[in-house]
Amino acid sequence: MSLTRQEYTTLEKKIGRTPNKLELQIVAAEWSEHCSYKSSKKHLRILPREGARVISGKGYDSGVLDVGDGYVVTIHIESHNHPSAVEPYGGAATGVGGVIRDILSMGTRPIAILDGLRFGDIEKDSHARWLFKNAVKGIADYGNCLGIPTVGGEIEFDKCFTNYALVDVAAIGFGRKERLIKNKADKDDFVILIGGATGRDGIGGSQFASDTLESENRSAVQIPDPFIEKLVIEAILEARNQNCIKAMKDLGGGGLSCAISETADALSVGIELDVARVHKREPGMSPSEIMVSESQERMLLITDRQKLPVLKKICEKFRVPYSVIGRVKDDKMMQVKVETNTIANLACNIVANAPLLDREASEPEYIKKIKKVKKPNTPRNLSKILLKILENPNIASKIWAYGQYDHEVGIRTVIKPGQDASVLRLDNGKFLSVKIDGNSKHCYINPREGAVGCFEEACRNVVCTGATPIGMVDHLQFGNPEDPEIFWTFRQSLEGLTEFGKYFEIPCVGGKVSFYNETNDGPIKPTPLIGVLGLIEKDSPFIQKITDGDLLFVIGETKDELGGSEYYEYIHNIVGGVCPAVDLRTSKTNMWALLEIINEGWANCAHDCSKGGLAIGICELCIIYEIGCTVTMDKIPQVKLRSDETLFSESHSRYLLAVSPKNVKKVVDLLDARNVLYGLAGKFVGSRIIFKKNAKTVADLRVDKAREKWLNSVGQLVKHG
Amino acid sequence: MPSFRVNVIIENKPEISDPEGDTILHDLILKGNHASVKKVRSGKMLKFEIEAKNKKLAEKTILDLCNEFRIYNPLVSRVTVESFDT
Repeated sequence: MSLTRQEYTTLEKKIGRTPNKLELQIVAAEWSEHCSYKSSKKHLRILPREGARVISGKGYDSGVLDVGDGYVVTIHIESHNHPSAVEPYGGAATGVGGVIRDILSMGTRPIAILDGLRFGDIEKDSHARWLFKNAVKGIADYGNCLGIPTVGGEIEFDKCFTNYALVDVAAIGFGRKERLIKNKADKDDFVILIGGATGRDGIGGSQFASDTLESENRSAVQIPDPFIEKLVIEAILEARNQNCIKAMKDLGGGGLSCAISETADALSVGIELDVARVHKREPGMSPSEIMVSESQERMLLITDRQKLPVLKKICEKFRVPYSVIGRVKDDKMMQVKVETNTIANLACNIVANAPLLDREASEPEYIKKIKKVKKPNTPRNLSKILLKILENPNIASKIWAYGQYDHEVGIRTVIKPGQDASVLRLDNGKFLSVKIDGNSKHCYINPREGAVGCFEEACRNVVCTGATPIGMVDHLQFGNPEDPEIFWTFRQSLEGLTEFGKYFEIPCVGGKVSFYNETNDGPIKPTPLIGVLGLIEKDSPFIQKITDGDLLFVIGETKDELGGSEYYEYIHNIVGGVCPAVDLRTSKTNMWALLEIINEGWANCAHDCSKGGLAIGICELCIIYEIGCTVTMDKIPQVKLRSDETLFSESHSRYLLAVSPKNVKKVVDLLDARNVLYGLAGKFVGSRIIFKKNAKTVADLRVDKAREKWLNSVGQLVKHG
Repeated sequence: MPSFRVNVIIENKPEISDPEGDTILHDLILKGNHASVKKVRSGKMLKFEIEAKNKKLAEKTILDLCNEFRIYNPLVSRVTVESFDT
């Protein structure tokens, strides 16, 4: 068990006696980094959390946003990195299950899943391919069985994830505001555990996630069972409709001990429970195994005497196993019993609130070193380079993955995965746009600007669908926080996100911190992942198309920011340089101008420039809409750059717009009026993608050839190695 | 060279849950009033035919091959081999 000596002393002092073994195990689970956020909690307070739409309440596990007409949207993000690295299928699947129960615990129906996946170099590493293949299958099988669409996400490959996997799952919920669970409890209310039986699987998982991954420490494997999860969802929603639920929490890391202590602490009550009453999968489990087991598909509910029979009936109707495991008390103690014997008795606020730590932070040595790199020579054949980047697994279409996900079940998905953000239809006639983004390559070079970039990218994607960002969730993934250099990168990222969020008034409605993401070769690159929700308050969403003769607008300036770009890393094997930075004012000007153009209906298509740069952005448009484009590079707003730099720099705040000739003047006038830097840089025509500079052709690709490479390369890699 | 049939059985380790087996037990067998059945575990069987000097070598070759191609995840699954003369 992983309490430090100091924590042990603190615990002794707080409870005024020596804890017994079970109490120690309960506290160790709850005080692990995974459950307690002891390294990060102090710092997370800087994030902006207030907003006109934000609804907050005690014990809420997910963010809640008011979308009007009496409806709310809930969102939560979590990772399942350690379990997925050892058992990708089960780890990824149970990751989906866990985050869905967080949405459910608010009393909202889960309506969509997004996932962010990261693996080693799948081109060279067969183990990375194995992890990738099985994690995707795990997500697909679980989400598809539940009938919840997986509507989007992102996938990145980098050597820093060798023998490891980052599996992040975000889930979206939707419901009536008045049906949100109020989370309250009174003396003598009943505590009920419903869902899968408690077994020995995943014992010590939360501590496992807070330890670095060692080969022998790989017992925390969890087996997914989506069918019981589906029953739990339906049973709980019916119980919600019949007002049977006073408070609710899902069982995740730390199992019962965390769920009980956190619920009791949040509601300022005590809970007395009898482990003998817990329905178990196998005989002979010890109380401590029952308390810290991380068996999946379980929820903790609190109900009163009057509603208990109704709740039981609902569980029986759906054939969901349940057990009444305890009662609410008014003494704020967590009392664990075996029948009449008390075997642990701790104050909930002590268990649920680990002593917070002050970790040291210092700028890593490497950051200064990699800032300056020798520029590579411009390759002679840029067409070939462009084609090579298009088939780079980081850039190529991820259709092999999302093609396995049912992204339409539930018939809400209006804009499907594969473009910028996905768009879901809500019952009040509005539309919800969602996207998650991360970029470990940028964040490694500059943790602050990299994180801001991810935030902006997610916003850009959402804005390109015509939505206004209304909230964000962050998932901050780093190595061992005890290393001051790693802790510094965490704080930098967090500060960047805070600044951007405050400037744009986008509240952070939820998130998670995952530390100790270490591989045998050292820590992963800093990988904050940002999810942004946007709202479209119109009768119909922005349906995009490009027609022959449409003109290409490039909005935003292209700068000498090639650090962390796919061009530097994939083509030239250079890790370093200056990574793209967001200028807050420009970012806002460009974003709002773009939104205005889309809302006026003047654009046929909008796309953001991100990984791979401008050239890839334009190619993606041409490939998706199967049309050629001739681009005059001289017209692209830029600082003085070489051709390869203009094509592949990944500067932020840039957008591509396809506009019909009849609307060009309106767009030009608006961009001029808003002082936006833009260029009318090309025309969609023919069947070739041609980049010209000083009237000379710099790169020239056939759309069908580019499409073939871009669409199929990931699938072929997985199938044939 | 003699030929053998080697059956490889892959199942979840005993301490790891098996939703498929549980479902068969609870939703089929016990509902069908066969209360004498106490447990069901699901698994997967691969049947190989292989030429080898002896049984032991045949089993070893097949097991090595399963490991090499990661046909099962050693952290989750238990693998047993049985072999027969053909």
